[in-house]
Amino acid sequence: MYVRRTSFKDSDYIRKDCERVKKYICLLSRGDPLVVGRVVGDVLDPFTRLVSLRVTYGQREVTNGLDLRPSQVLNKPMVEVGGDDLRNFYTLVMVDPDVPSPSNPHLREYLHWLVTDIPATTGTAFGNEMVCYESPRPPSGIHRMVLILFRQLGRQTVYAPGWRQQFKTREFAEMYNLGLPVAATYFNCQRENGCGGRRT
Amino acid sequence: MPLSLLLESLDPTHHSRNDRRKSRTSLSSLLTTLSHLFLSFSLYLRVGYKTIDTKTKAVLFGSVLFSFPMLSSAKHQRNLRVSATNKNKASSISPSSPSSSSSSSTSSSSPLPSQDSQGQKRSLITMEEVWKDINLASIHHINRHSQHPQHNHEPRFRSHNHQNQNPNSIFQDFLNGPLNQEPAPTSLAMGSASNGNSTTVTALCSSPFPPPATVLSLNSGAGFEFLDNQDPLVVTPNSNLHSHHNLSNIPSFNTPFEALVTSTCFGKKRGQESNEGTGNRRHKRMIKNRESAARSRARKQAYTNELELEVAHLQAENARLKRQQDQLRMAAANQQPKKNTLQRSSTAPF
Repeated sequence: MYVRRTSFKDSDYIRKDCERVKKYICLLSRGDPLVVGRVVGDVLDPFTRLVSLRVTYGQREVTNGLDLRPSQVLNKPMVEVGGDDLRNFYTLVMVDPDVPSPSNPHLREYLHWLVTDIPATTGTAFGNEMVCYESPRPPSGIHRMVLILFRQLGRQTVYAPGWRQQFKTREFAEMYNLGLPVAATYFNCQRENGCGGRRT
Repeated sequence: MPLSLLLESLDPTHHSRNDRRKSRTSLSSLLTTLSHLFLSFSLYLRVGYKTIDTKTKAVLFGSVLFSFPMLSSAKHQRNLRVSATNKNKASSISPSSPSSSSSSSTSSSSPLPSQDSQGQKRSLITMEEVWKDINLASIHHINRHSQHPQHNHEPRFRSHNHQNQNPNSIFQDFLNGPLNQEPAPTSLAMGSASNGNSTTVTALCSSPFPPPATVLSLNSGAGFEFLDNQDPLVVTPNSNLHSHHNLSNIPSFNTPFEALVTSTCFGKKRGQESNEGTGNRRHKRMIKNRESAARSRARKQAYTNELELEVAHLQAENARLKRQQDQLRMAAANQQPKKNTLQRSSTAPF
């Protein structure tokens, strides 16, 4: 009698799981937030997530498209990198592709943060901060702040660029043979009071 | 008094008057008034010419015309009449063409004052008619609407543009640049634009002729390059600019009579002109606003998708945990009877 009941429950679960997987795939195919938010395209090439990336500002965990104000991103976030092998090292890049304003981003990609040599399963605290964190303060418009994780070929193979302005993530990845990113997330940041200000 | 005679003969409404009255007017008084007016007019012209820069020349010239309506009209008239006589086209002036041609040819230097004083005495409408007839005669351009001068204004615009192409007037100094080179089709387009009929007409007319330098200065360089990917909006800015340019030209060549008679109409045109000027900026703003709206939608959609994904993820996790819990409970339930039996068995022996 017990066996019967459990088998019925199992089939029910399996059916529900299948539905969920279908729904998940459907959601992903309809629009990855990174694609819809044009992070893939403006900053990155299409990629597949291989490593989990968890970014937390204080108590708030960053999900794609989250709206944060400059006061909430004043201090550097806590970043947890997944993976399994401690011998793998990762590079975290944080850029703003909407400088000086989203409607006319002619100074595209301002480098806010660069941390290299992050061992897998740890965080940025264990990495090497090549370019220190500069808190986003968008003057106008709603800016996207993109955090990208690359997998390094080896330890101490990535170096900082000369300046933060006119940073090109694609060129940077090409220069140090980082390949496609393994994880990325982004949030929106706009002026403290008001809603984005003038979009000039 | 050959000039006054001429003027009277030119005017169809005063044609029926007797010639004795005209002869009685004193020549000396007429001459003095003429000289006064001419002096002041020339002074105005010189001052205007010095102070005005080339772009706003035409507009200021229009204001000069306003301040001296009678004189300017007289001057136009004289020039036109000379040209008309040279071309022997005075026959189109219906009432008394031979006398006018002969008198004008004989006395081209003195005639201005008498015309002026006479013009001041007359009503505005009659003067307008006279001028219109002369213009038409000099241009070889007889309009279909010439019989109804008061009812529509377009033929007059056209005729003025044609008249300005004649190289014999001293106003050419003020009309340098693109205004003289404007061909007839653009003037037609101007007419339609002033009526506010349709912008497509202006776009069609403006396409074969490159816009003048003033338009380019208004265009603000590469501002419209990004419009190329927008579907129907590419045509409108150019046409708007062109019509704006033409509209800005219109008031400078309006006759003072028109301005006086149809003052309300002129005010309307002014309003249209300012609208066209801001239309360019408004269009840019509109494009930017659309881009911004698209970005906003994408942002919202991305966030919604992210949240939906998270919901699906959490639901899956929740289901997994529920199943785990169920399995654990079942395992516990399976273990429970064993325990009981064991306990019983343990407690069984007495």
